[in-house]
Amino acid sequence: MSSHSPQLFSIVPGSTEPIYRQLVDQVRRMAAGGQLAPGDALPSVRETALQLAVNPMTVSKAYGLLELEGVLERRRGVGMVVADRPRSVSDAGERLALLRPTLERAAREARELELDPDAILTLFTQILKESA
Amino acid sequence: MTASPILMRGVAKRFGSKPVLDGLDWEVGPGQVIGLLGRNGAGKSTLMECLLGLREIDGGSIALFGESPDALSDATRARIGYVPQKSDLFDWMTPLPMLDYFKALYPRWNDAKVEGLLGRWGIDLAMRNQPIRRLSGGEQQRLSIIRALAHDPELLVLDEPVSALDPAGRRDFLTELIDGVIERGTTVVFSTHILTDLERVALDVAFLKDGRIVLEGDLDDLLDGAAGHVPPGARVPSNLEDLFIEVTR
Repeated sequence: MSSHSPQLFSIVPGSTEPIYRQLVDQVRRMAAGGQLAPGDALPSVRETALQLAVNPMTVSKAYGLLELEGVLERRRGVGMVVADRPRSVSDAGERLALLRPTLERAAREARELELDPDAILTLFTQILKESA
Repeated sequence: MTASPILMRGVAKRFGSKPVLDGLDWEVGPGQVIGLLGRNGAGKSTLMECLLGLREIDGGSIALFGESPDALSDATRARIGYVPQKSDLFDWMTPLPMLDYFKALYPRWNDAKVEGLLGRWGIDLAMRNQPIRRLSGGEQQRLSIIRALAHDPELLVLDEPVSALDPAGRRDFLTELIDGVIERGTTVVFSTHILTDLERVALDVAFLKDGRIVLEGDLDDLLDGAAGHVPPGARVPSNLEDLFIEVTR
């Protein structure tokens, strides 16, 4: 169990994703990928808001949604911690769902480039092998 | 029941025969942090100046905490802070006497905050001995912000408050807004063309066009549901900049 600093997060204002959703997606991915372990404490709302220069309510909103999803839980005297068994990432199907927004973006760009679906799938398979 | 910080009903303002505000209705509730957006010349500054009683209106009504801006009590005046687009400080004075002058006008004045901001924002001893007119535009803007924050206002009206600041200065301002202003539950109305800054701090946005507020709402909801706010057939805006362009077109 460890505590994390607000440097954990990075946000890009002006992008297609509202800031709160960028935070939610990052925590989900880190919890699913193990960079955030069960019991790890997240930085406080205030620290995070100041570090990222965003409204504290935006950070609260992201933490609140993650708590509802069961990814985080509120622990007295500690603040937000990663839930023991993040329900939303317990099986492969749900982990796969986390990838969907990224793939949707890639699909949009692929359509704009008017690429052939088979060529795209071949490329993605190749990339998966490269990084394995 | 406490009155809304800002309530505008049917407000009209003309320059000559040209209507700038045209039956404008707008209400801002306590603790709202709202960005006012519009094209150049849409009337954002005029709206703010009318709001604060700095310009007479030609029709409709305005109430600040329930009082008319042209007959504001001292107690209510002390609850309001304003950073104008163009610095209106007494530019023949040096910074500290200017701040002392304003301090005398307010029942409450946060000396520790003023000293802290002067130090953190680089208004050093050399600058403090210069007439304000010799300071750079960015330095004058920082002083103007310090003056507006010094009495811990409950309603802060900011008209392009960071237009003269460099990225580091803008970040310092955002940090102060987050830590010293929003945390206190202050109601904040501000206009800016720097949409990335706006997105960081504003929870709500209002678009001014053709003399009225044509679209207003929670920024996240507007971005999530952007497709519903543009004419059928128009490209669906995918971020705040696109939404701005589509809504104010």
